[in-house]
Amino acid sequence: MTDKRETKSHADDGAILACSGIERRFGGIVAVTGVDFVIHPKEIFGLVGPNGSGKTTLTNAITGFYPPNVGTVRLAGNDITGTAPHKVAKLGVARTFQNLALFNGMSVLDNILLGRHIHMNPGVLRTALYWWAAQREEIENRKVVEEVIEFLQLESIRHEMVDGLPIGLKKRVELARALVAEPQMLILDEPMAGMNQEEKGYMSRFILDARAERGVSVLLIEHHMDVIIGICDRMLALNYGEMIASGIPREVVKDPRVIEAYVGGAHD
Amino acid sequence: MFYRLSGVHHANYVSDSRIFKVPADRNLAVFVLLFGLAAPFIVPSLYLNSYMLPWLIWTAAALGLNLVTGWAGQLHLGYAAVMAVGAYASIHAARFGIPWEFALIIGGLASSVIGSLFAFAALRVKGLYLALTTLAMQFVMDWVLTHSPAITGGSHASLQSPTLALLGQDITSDTGYYYVAFGWCVLVTIFMLNLKRTGLGRALVAVREKDFAAAILGVNSFYYKILAFATSSFIAGVSGALLVATFFFLAAPEQFSVAVSIQVLAMVIVGGLGSIIGSYMGVALILLVPGIVNGLVSGSSQSLGMQINVETLAHIPNAVYGALIVIILLIEPLGLGKLYGNIRDYLMVWPFDQLRK
Repeated sequence: MTDKRETKSHADDGAILACSGIERRFGGIVAVTGVDFVIHPKEIFGLVGPNGSGKTTLTNAITGFYPPNVGTVRLAGNDITGTAPHKVAKLGVARTFQNLALFNGMSVLDNILLGRHIHMNPGVLRTALYWWAAQREEIENRKVVEEVIEFLQLESIRHEMVDGLPIGLKKRVELARALVAEPQMLILDEPMAGMNQEEKGYMSRFILDARAERGVSVLLIEHHMDVIIGICDRMLALNYGEMIASGIPREVVKDPRVIEAYVGGAHD
Repeated sequence: MFYRLSGVHHANYVSDSRIFKVPADRNLAVFVLLFGLAAPFIVPSLYLNSYMLPWLIWTAAALGLNLVTGWAGQLHLGYAAVMAVGAYASIHAARFGIPWEFALIIGGLASSVIGSLFAFAALRVKGLYLALTTLAMQFVMDWVLTHSPAITGGSHASLQSPTLALLGQDITSDTGYYYVAFGWCVLVTIFMLNLKRTGLGRALVAVREKDFAAAILGVNSFYYKILAFATSSFIAGVSGALLVATFFFLAAPEQFSVAVSIQVLAMVIVGGLGSIIGSYMGVALILLVPGIVNGLVSGSSQSLGMQINVETLAHIPNAVYGALIVIILLIEPLGLGKLYGNIRDYLMVWPFDQLRK
């Protein structure tokens, strides 16, 4: 078997994110294989699949945590395959995590300010000479953060510690932290897990507004099909690490293979 | 009560990012600073030089260790070795005729280089393994110091520190020594206070809490761990040099042995990881309490007319001091700084303590 696969670079023109032939193995287990998709600017792209179908692995392959064994990832035309996560962040990819990755022991404000890290230039001397070397930068970035805090309606909790917040708010803080980085590409890994209908509604609205007001492209991983159908422009369904369907959500969810993957086939 | 938030409104981001947002905290800090400045005229010189001076220098050193252990979350058991590097480098530089201002910086930089070597271990291993690696490096450094006559003069020798001189002024008086220590401690404290509100401090905490989440925000944990070790080592080096120049006057390898490393770590942990005021309190407890307990025990036994034999008398302070550490950490695992914080938070809403904090 050859590890070289044809890459479809001609289809990437103008795409924010283009993955072609992505494969990632862990030992003998093939977690993701042969995944091709393209996300266009200002598109909300859904990614669904049963548990263990490789959604998060695919995300990790894009963001550099587990570089793909085969295939390429292009961000706005530039090859970012295998780039270290902190460099991927600097290139304009922000993400949230399935099971939350806020920094405990820090306030909501400090957590969100960390999202501005790639736009700041912290250093030892600048810290020592705060009043002359760091204050202006801190204040300028604080202003950007406050815009997002207002946008996501987090004003009342900005000085609270993140440890004590309910999960719905934590997810919102994490979204805020990703948004302040002003990314081209925002990857949301199950932002609505564990939320009730009302919170889901809020979150969907925030995602739509983020695209409308800030022009981000979104890769949205979700299990809630109503959300996917409601806000995604296009979507991709994975099962056992392989693409089983892609296209417009209303059509994809009718695909017999998607139905079988989610609710099981008839045993007769 | 004393600490009140009512009526304190921050109307702009500059005022909201002040170091002391509560007026009482600011007043307390100003009072402590003024007391520190006036201390040579108030405190008898015996107390000034045998208690306050070492307290200030060890606090500066403990704050440096707090940077790497409390902020960046890297356990460091070889801190005294790094201090030794700074002390010996500075003294040799000063003996060579380099002005003390530069000698101190040379000491700090030499420590930074050696301390960054510790960091390379930190990049490979975590937690207990890192603790063991740094401990091993402390032993290596001990061995190097006792076996290099060129640096230390050999295992039982000590190295005379040349007279301290700063800004063209020879410093030989007790007051002078005290002000040098005080100035250094204030500088380090200001740096640490600023660290709490800048991107550097946030990045270090991010590396400590969740390095994968830090990475996706663009924080290069490799770089920030090295930076934390280098900065803390610089503080260690200058503190070590000042300790010899203003307190010991002689440098000897056993002043920076493994026991000292553990003692500094104890100061930081008892004081509270990541707490600045806690470091002051932790150093005071570890450094000064044994002497105070000793005085109390011998004083009270004399006044009560009890006959306590010498060995018991020597062991009681150690036992009390050990028990104190255990009790404090049982009451509040985050140390004295957190205990102080709890009292402050309680007083903030007193007498309406049923209010949500």
